[in-house]
Amino acid sequence: MQLRYVFSELGQGLRRNLSMHLAVVLTLFVSLTLVGMGVLLNQQANKAADHWGNQLQITVWLCKADDSNAACTGEVTDAQRDAVIAVVEENPEVSGHHLESREEAFEKVKELVGAERFEGPNPAATAEDMPESIWIELEDPDEYKGITSAVTGLDGVSGIRDMRQTLKPIYGSINALQWGALATAGFLVIAALLLVGNTIRLAAFARRKEIGIMRLVGASTLYIALPFLLEALVTALVGVTLAAGALGGFMYFGIHERAGDALKFMPWIGMEEYGVAVLCVALLGPLLTILPTLVLTRKYLKV
Amino acid sequence: MSINVIRFEKVTKAYPGHPQPALDQVSVDIDKGEFVFLVGSSGSGKSTFLRLVTREYRPTSGRVYVAGKEINRLANWKVPRLRREIGAVFQDFRLLPNKTVTENVAFALQVIGRSRADIKTLVPETLELVGLDGKGDRMPDELSGGEQQRVAVARAFVNRPQILIADEPTGNLDPTTSVGIMKLLDRINRTGTTVLMATHDAGIVDQMRKRVIELEHGRAVRDQAQGVYGSQA
Ligand SMILES: Nc1ncnc2c1ncn2[C@@H]1O[C@H](COP(=O)(O)OP(=O)(O)OP(=O)(O)O)[C@@H](O)[C@H]1O
Ligand SMILES: [Mg+2]
Repeated sequence: MQLRYVFSELGQGLRRNLSMHLAVVLTLFVSLTLVGMGVLLNQQANKAADHWGNQLQITVWLCKADDSNAACTGEVTDAQRDAVIAVVEENPEVSGHHLESREEAFEKVKELVGAERFEGPNPAATAEDMPESIWIELEDPDEYKGITSAVTGLDGVSGIRDMRQTLKPIYGSINALQWGALATAGFLVIAALLLVGNTIRLAAFARRKEIGIMRLVGASTLYIALPFLLEALVTALVGVTLAAGALGGFMYFGIHERAGDALKFMPWIGMEEYGVAVLCVALLGPLLTILPTLVLTRKYLKV
Repeated sequence: MSINVIRFEKVTKAYPGHPQPALDQVSVDIDKGEFVFLVGSSGSGKSTFLRLVTREYRPTSGRVYVAGKEINRLANWKVPRLRREIGAVFQDFRLLPNKTVTENVAFALQVIGRSRADIKTLVPETLELVGLDGKGDRMPDELSGGEQQRVAVARAFVNRPQILIADEPTGNLDPTTSVGIMKLLDRINRTGTTVLMATHDAGIVDQMRKRVIELEHGRAVRDQAQGVYGSQA
């Protein structure tokens, strides 16, 4: 096949309809970026859920020597501790539990905050300052009210912490952002499809004489449609490249530089997840331009 | 089955929304190498006949065979191949205004994937045949109507089709210029190409004395060898 004509048509077509192509590229860019964001946020939510999945535990803090909770009369006694454990063991919502000693708690804190601050002559805290605690795993993460109320108010219990209460707002925000991004992307995708459709209509109209003659002399449908398909591919590639750049920027400045440093306790998405998002965008972009082009060239360039 | 280049068997073509068919039970055989005039008053169905030959439309009923293929059954993707066997010329020339004469003719070969070498020999050869050598670099608007029609004929013939159809090719030309175009079509016919021409031009038909098929309200009412334009001749 002689493609010289096709390529000169491609160049001409892109120039002739520059403003229309720019509109397509920009809409495509924004919608693909939002789709990519949705994909990233989804992976972020999954990653956090994986990480914490079975750590969504309930922690029962037992009273320590000078507890800030007035209900505590002093350090928890052995009898009190055994009573609390008995209640926990009896409860059907509980799948397992273990007792964490002060020393274990102290080690955890050191690991989280950095050991330096707990060494030397004037440490920020010692093992003596840490409370004992019971870590409870649930049969069903959604069934937790029974155990919470059973333990609350027992002698020797200083407080109860439910991890979910802490994480819920974070999950909530991630979810809301994800769906917000995808919904907005949905609208923009529709706009992009309409713009692509209009661009093809204009291009087919501008080239109607050539197209008429090509059909007349027996050019194949593919040959006639090729400049349109290449135009669609070029705009898609530009849109995808811009979106991949924007997502990369978000990964670097939004997550790597900011959140990643400030909120270390969360597991953050990285290169791998970025790759997945770019792949989605790279597949969706050409689909969004080539699909309507195929449909419309069939309509406008019928033999 | 037959050596007919074009064969219509009881062909009816009704346009959607028009109760009166544009062609009504038309049966016609045209052999290889014939020169045929299609005459009839305006609206009698001449252009419709030609559009069935090029498979722009399919018949509503009956069968159309062109270059050995049955048009009704021809898959869409095979239509381009059929059209390469048919050259077409129209009253309004249909040249590309932003291309030179040479480019206009070459375009027909380029878009069907002919090699550059073929184009280099076929285009000048055909321009010479139609009497346009030396004018290859002109733009269409630098040519007279007759010359523009010659370019259109060159473009229709450059791929050496079996059939040349012409829908009122002299409709926009004065009588003297028309004679020149007819001489050209006759020359092309002599190379073995079947020529099928729809026309209103009585003078030309009477002068050429070729086969005449007359349509009236979509019916073939006359088929006469070495005929004339009017039925009463
Ligand atoms: N695309 C179309 N849609 C609907 N009706 C059509 C169409 N083309 C032609 N017709 C009708 O079919 C009939 C035959 O038209 P056709 O163009 O074949 O006539 P014609 O003999 O070529 O006329 P003319 O000499 O004026 O060119 C007319 O009544 C016309 O109105
Ligand atoms: Mg007509």
